[in-house]
Amino acid sequence: MKEHIVSSFDEELQKITARISEMGGLAEEELSMALEAVRLRDGALARKVIESDDRLDMMDARLEHDAIQMLALRQPVASDLREIVAALKVSSTLERIGDLAKNIAKRTQVLNEGQPLRVTGSILRMGKLTQTLFAEVLDAYTSRNTSMAVSVWKRDVEVDEMYNSIFRELTTYMMEDPRVISLCSQLLFVAKNLERIGDHATFISEMTYYVVEGEQLGDDRPKGDPLAAFIED
Amino acid sequence: MNKTITAEAQIASNIVSAKISARKVNVFYGDTHAIKDVSIEILDRSVTAFIGPSGCGKSTFLRCLNRMNDTIDICRVEGTIELDGHDIYDASVDPVQLRARVGMVFQKPNPFPKSIYDNIAYGPKIHGLAQSKADLDGIVESALRRAALWEEVKDRLAAPGTGLSGGQQQRLCIARAIATAPEVLLMDEPCSALDPIATAQVEELIDELRKSYSVVIVTHSMQQAARVSQKTAFFHLGLMLEYDDTSKIFTNPDHEKTQAYITGRFG
Ligand SMILES: Nc1ncnc2c1ncn2[C@@H]1O[C@H](COP(=O)(O)OP(=O)(O)O)[C@@H](O)[C@H]1O
Ligand SMILES: [Mg+2]
Repeated sequence: MKEHIVSSFDEELQKITARISEMGGLAEEELSMALEAVRLRDGALARKVIESDDRLDMMDARLEHDAIQMLALRQPVASDLREIVAALKVSSTLERIGDLAKNIAKRTQVLNEGQPLRVTGSILRMGKLTQTLFAEVLDAYTSRNTSMAVSVWKRDVEVDEMYNSIFRELTTYMMEDPRVISLCSQLLFVAKNLERIGDHATFISEMTYYVVEGEQLGDDRPKGDPLAAFIED
Repeated sequence: MNKTITAEAQIASNIVSAKISARKVNVFYGDTHAIKDVSIEILDRSVTAFIGPSGCGKSTFLRCLNRMNDTIDICRVEGTIELDGHDIYDASVDPVQLRARVGMVFQKPNPFPKSIYDNIAYGPKIHGLAQSKADLDGIVESALRRAALWEEVKDRLAAPGTGLSGGQQQRLCIARAIATAPEVLLMDEPCSALDPIATAQVEELIDELRKSYSVVIVTHSMQQAARVSQKTAFFHLGLMLEYDDTSKIFTNPDHEKTQAYITGRFG
């Protein structure tokens, strides 16, 4: 798009866009370290995730501050307005993804105390898929690519389905052997956190669509309903 | 809900709502083609804002709506403009009567060099709207009240209008326009000479006026258009490129040029 007559406005917008990219990168890194910590049963790595999450929180607070300043001082309209509103929402979504990654990392402390479980492999596969979708949606947002965003939005159902199957697997284990309840419930939390991250990724898809098209992406996204899967058993 | 009633209400509200209907309007100043094929339906009891870069034809088009352009020799208007379904350029229409129905407020407050009272009373007098002095007093008071000026001037109605502050003078001009019981009020950048407080008072007044009138305002301030209007028309080089709900124009305009203009990207 053409530049603003007032060039400092463009600079501020660019700064916000750059910060979102940086935050996205940080959140991606946190998630990948958290999953590595689970895979390698690495307590030190887990602690690193917990520490680096503070930075994401701070960046979110700073972005919110700057965006509010821009709303007050520039009184943006049309695509500028959408850009800033979306940045605000995406920033807090990234902050929450960071929290979920941190939460995954925290689980490793308890997990490392017990025997490794085979179901961990399915969870790591679910983690891989979540990472892929998250990376793609960050790309889609940064490059304002709606078709890529919609593709992520549609594929989140795969994460939901993996979650359902892990949920079933874990509940079976717990019923068979009550001694693994503590461990399995930790893994269940990890899976649930990944499922939430998938949902947040679809939200970033929606924001991408909103920035570009000025309209909401419909709410007929395919969803896997975890409760339905449970009840039908 | 009863479907038939809803449909009827819909039709009824459509009939009431289009106050001015312009079709394929072209305006020329000699060889200058200032307005090109503009068609628009202006709603009753709402505020319509005309925005666009200087020289795009906003004032020219506004002046067509009460035949103010008739006073400019080289100006030629083509197309149809209807007020309540009647062609205002029809030979049978008296432009002076028309301007009583379609009042106008200008950029610079221009009170007559007379008393506050006479400024308001002038129009109703020449249009024979008052039968008695008491009638006229009533009209003056009610116009000043509607223009939110009564409390400030009721004790000095005999004082010259030109002695008021800029904001008060503009509200006096609005009161003067209201006094002839118009149906439409045209305002050409009515706040551009006012400070922020006086501007806010005029904007508050415009919001009040839309309960009774169809208001059309030309403004250079995007924020003002966003604040006071329900519909916005974007003009560019004599064309009306976009006309839509103000909330749509300022969040997601359809036309690339509208977007560029309202976001401050016009080079
Ligand atoms: N009285 C006039 N005589 C000749 N040309 C005019 C006159 N008024 C306006 N114009 C021309 O018509 C075009 C539209 O002007 P105007 O309606 O005043 O634009 P705006 O109100 O959008 O700034 C401009 O090119 C302007 O020079
Ligand atoms: Mg003008």
